[in-house]
Parts: sequence; structure tokens; C-alpha cells
Amino acid sequence: MKKIGLIVNPIAGMGGSVGLKGTDGEVYKKALELGAQPVTPQRIEETLSVVNRKDLFFIVAPGKMGEDFIRKFDFKYEVVSAIDKKTNADDTKRIIREMVEKGIELLVFVGGDGTARDVYDVLGLTIPVVGIPSGVKMFSPVFALSTFAAAEIINNTSEQIIEKEVLDIDEKAFRDGKLGAELYGYLNVPKNLNLLQSKKEPSNVSKPDKISKEEISQYILEHIENDVLYILGPGTTLATIASKIGVEKTLLGIDAVYSAQIVGKDLNEKGLLDLLNKYNKIKIIVTPIGGNGFIFGRASKQFTPAVLNAIGEENIIVVATDDKISRLECLRVDTGDDGTDNRLKGHMKVITGYKTETLIEVK
Amino acid sequence: MTINLHTNENPYLPGADIKKAAQKGLENINRYSNPEHLSELKTLLGKYNNIASDRIFISHGSDLLIREIINVFSTNRKIVMVNPSFFPVTQYASEQARRITKMKLSPPDFELDSTLLLNELNEPALLILDNPNNPTGKVLIDDKLAEQILKNKDVLLLVDEAYYEFSGFTLASLIEKYPNLAVTRTMDKAFSLAGLRVGYLLMGDYFKAYFSDFRVNISTPAIFAATEALKKPEYMKDNRDKIVSEKIRIENELLKKGFQVFPGKANFILIKTNSIDFNKKLFDKNILVYNLSNDWLNGYYRITVGLPEENDMLLTKIEKISNNT
Repeated sequence: MKKIGLIVNPIAGMGGSVGLKGTDGEVYKKALELGAQPVTPQRIEETLSVVNRKDLFFIVAPGKMGEDFIRKFDFKYEVVSAIDKKTNADDTKRIIREMVEKGIELLVFVGGDGTARDVYDVLGLTIPVVGIPSGVKMFSPVFALSTFAAAEIINNTSEQIIEKEVLDIDEKAFRDGKLGAELYGYLNVPKNLNLLQSKKEPSNVSKPDKISKEEISQYILEHIENDVLYILGPGTTLATIASKIGVEKTLLGIDAVYSAQIVGKDLNEKGLLDLLNKYNKIKIIVTPIGGNGFIFGRASKQFTPAVLNAIGEENIIVVATDDKISRLECLRVDTGDDGTDNRLKGHMKVITGYKTETLIEVK
Repeated sequence: MTINLHTNENPYLPGADIKKAAQKGLENINRYSNPEHLSELKTLLGKYNNIASDRIFISHGSDLLIREIINVFSTNRKIVMVNPSFFPVTQYASEQARRITKMKLSPPDFELDSTLLLNELNEPALLILDNPNNPTGKVLIDDKLAEQILKNKDVLLLVDEAYYEFSGFTLASLIEKYPNLAVTRTMDKAFSLAGLRVGYLLMGDYFKAYFSDFRVNISTPAIFAATEALKKPEYMKDNRDKIVSEKIRIENELLKKGFQVFPGKANFILIKTNSIDFNKKLFDKNILVYNLSNDWLNGYYRITVGLPEENDMLLTKIEKISNNT
């Protein structure tokens, strides 16, 4: 039997129906005052109704955080932990920890970006997850495209895993009509095998994400110049490259490498500008954010217009797995400076594997 | 019964004569295909394409031909192709090639930028294009651009024209002139012979030299059916016209319903919708369409044009789905 954790954020998505963009913090109270109704029951039930694998054993959060929904189906399950009437993010994290102790191999969670951050805080890149979209803010690519897609992922027996971004959206700014997103972390997600159709894919060559990253890293390693300072942006692809070089990289930060040695860790704008003054030849390696394609202006704001202009667009190397690039309409930049953005716009080659690249528009 | 609108097949059966011819092909199945029968088919294909029959190579489906060309002719060349496309680039070809460059076609136009393309052809290259492209239906190159490409002798151009009969556009007339051009075709689609897999290659001299000692790989029933089909191609034209007319009808109806429809030149329609789980909702109503969301762009679906009654069913179900969301 495959052990699957199931946890539901009972208030996720309630802000949407009453025009509030999220339920983080005190906004939840306001949502209730405005008569918001829970949306998670429908979402989880839509998913569970099409899960047809017989070899699953669910480890479920109590009451409205899971048990209330699974009991309507025929699945074998066990409830862990206990909750009060009012629940919060700490409950989510505590219960997931207990599920890990029980030996879950996959965690199914229902919620929005906030829930994904709580899941990341506990799991990081250990146990894979399936995110059933239910929140108001779901900018994190970690979520399945729909409740049915979530069920397809649970039903499939693929061992293929893809790392997807968890974003930290500034909810207050979002309510004010602005979208500020920071990269918060990564979660492992099983690849959706599209069970309704054949396996032929429009991306031509489909490789497991991990192999793609290895190939990209090997290619970069073979082309590294010893007299160049490499500034590595955030992300697991960049962490794989760093590992290939033989250094350990900050997953979400910006690090600098020279002659296979780390010379700057978790750099901010000032740290980057200081290094730019010290070294003559500099290159940046970055990867776009899955889903929206931003290479600059989101997730890595340390790459300010001043930093980018000092380095020059010809010294920017973009890397991404085939899978990620295939899902993007284009790359995007939004550095806050029109001149810098305009210099970066046009077309760019993205390294997607060993000797493999994609020419894509930057908007 | 499920209505299959996801594999770009022809919804019309070929005529009784063609089925009868295929059955006749079963009479001597203990024997390999007769070279004379094959020669007759090549002659007919030559006439159909207005090309010398010795420039035609026939195979069990065009996929095998495409795979063979990519495997053989990518060695020490750069492979240039577009994303999205469904070409079978093998791990072997990836290793033999100098590198692979994919040019991303972006919505809403999915245009192939000719300047960018020509820039990529500055070293020995194998350029593979499907024209029209699957799944966008876009005609990516015209005669003029093709000739610009082909004048560069370091570039080999392979164009898959699986949907030629629907697009009405072909590079076949350039085959005699340019040794570095190859065009693949199929009788799977417009001729309604998908189950028999009749693919063929139109070869410029460079490709002809390679395929001259290549063993033909096609069954006798397929040869007989294809021969009969080419003797009376009117049925194909009638069916094609019906499909094209239905395609326009579906496109107009979907536009009225608020779908984003991308005009294409094949027997399928690319659409975009914000309706979540669109394909699942149709699947629940026994209609299968191709979901491109998981491996390409979110919200995009490809719908093959079916029989009028199947298309009516599709539109009715879509109406119901739209009313329920």
C-alpha cells in the first residue's frame, strides 16, 4: 500500500467569493463577516471522486482538515493528531510533521499559496506533493492545473518528479492591485502523465526533470571559463550547476563563483555591485520562474537595473528544463526600469539540456 | 461510445472499392509485397504529386521516414526545429547532432520569424518543420523562404506535409531543383487510410542517394488500398471539403461562445479556454479532445474535426459545460 498524507486548509479560497484577495492573517475575519463560504470541500471531493487507485492508504488530518471529506469515500485511512475549533498555519505544519513520522510517500494538500509555503517549511524537497488548487492566490506553479489534474497525478504510478516553485505573494500589495512575488522555495511534484491521452508530447524530447538539470549542468561545466566570475541566481537548476562545479549554493539566494570557489553567498544588490567592481569578466546564470517566465523583476530582486546594466545583457545565460520552457509562452522582465527592460527584450537562447537550446521571445 | 476528436484522423471511411482492394491484398499474405504493385503505386503517387516516381519512397507511415532522416542526417549537424511540434528526435540523434535549437512559437500568432530562422542556419544544419504545424495549424514557411533556406547547401530541409491536402500548400515543386530538400507525406489523414499507415517521402538528390538501397517496408493490403485510392481521389477531395466546411462552422460557433480560436490550415482546431478541466468535462460526456495544458501551454486544446453529427454533439456539450461554469 502506498501511504498518502491528506491535509486541507479549511479557510483557503474563502476570500475570493467576497472580493478579498486571500485569507492571510486578519483578512480571514473580514471574509467571515462578509459571508464567505468554504470552497475546499468541493475541491477535495472533486479530486477524491476520481482517484481510482486501490493501493492507497491515507494518513489524514482530523476533522475539517481532512477526515470530514475522506470519510465520504471508500478509501482506507487513519487519522493523525488533533485540532481545536480554530486552526492556523502552525496546525498545518505540526500535522504534516506527524504524517512524515507515519511514513507518508506523497502529501496531498488543499489550499493556496500560503498553504504551499507551510508545506514547504516542513517538507522542502523531501517528500513529493500534489497541490489541489483552492486558494484565492495560486501563483505558485506547484499546484495541479485543476482538481481533476490533481487526481490524475495521484492515480499515476510515475516515478518522475518535477521541482516546482512556491511563491510568496505580498497579499497586501496584491489587494492594492500590485503583484509582488518572491521565490519562497521548491516542492517536488510527480509528473502528470496525461492519462486521458497518448504519451507523445509537443515538446519533442521529454526527459525526467532531474536528468535535464544534470545535462544542463554538465554543459555549463564544460563551457566554464576560469577567468570569469559567475553569478548564480536562485533555483534548483542553479543549485545543480553549483554542485557540478563542486560548490554548495544557497537555494533561494544569489551566490558568486570564481575558479570553482564561492566568493559571495546570498548576495544583495550592494554585495553584487562590490563584486562587479572587483572582477573584469562577469556572467549571470539564471532560470525563469515556472508559469510566468520572469527572469528578472520577480524572485531575484537583487538583480537591480544597476547590477544588470553593469553586467550587460550579452553576459546573461538563461537555463531551464525542456519541460519548464515548453510551458512558457515567453520569458518576461520587469526590473522597474524601462531602459533596462527594453535592452533585455527581444529573443534569447535558453540552455535546456546538453547541447540543447530554445530560442524564445523576452517580453 | 466515445467520440474521438483527439488524434487528427479522418472521420469518413474510404469507399467500398478501397476496402475491397485492401482485402484482395490479403490473398497472398505468405508472400512479400510484389515489386510491380509497389511500382504502380509509385507511378500513381508521382502523378498525384507531379513528380518523377523515382523520387518517391514509400513506407509504413511517415513517422518511420522522419525518424530515419533525423537519425541519419543529424550527424555532425545542428538540428533546428520549432516548439511545439511532435517530431521523433531520438536520444541517438541528440548525441550525434552538434546541438539542437528549438524555436519557440508564441501565441497569439505562432509565427516563425524568418530572420531569426536564417540566422540559425549559419552552420551545417538539419532543419525539420511541419508545414502546417501541429498543433497550431500554422503554415510556417512559403516557397520564397524555402528557397532562401535551400540555396544554402549546408542546410538539409525536411518538411512534413501530413496535412497538405487541407492546407493546399506544398514544396513538392522544389524537389527537382534542390537536392537538399525532403518532403514527407501521408495517406493517413486526407485519404482516410490511418489504419493502413501509408507514408511516403519526396526526395531531393541528396536524400535519394541514401534511400536508393533502402528496403521498402509496407504491406500488400496497404499498397492495394492506396493504389485504389489514388485511382479515384475524388472521394478524398469530397471528404476534405466537408471537413474544411465543418471546421469553419465549429470555429465560428466556438468564437461565438467566447473561445479563443487560432485559425489553422489542417483538419484540427487549436483553441484556448479558461474553462478549468475542459477536456475532462468533455471526456465525461464521451468526447475526447487533445489537452495541451500539461506539456505545453495552459488552457490550450486541439480538437479534430469530426462528422457533422459528432461536431454537433461537441458544440452541444460545450454549451452545457459553459452554462454550468
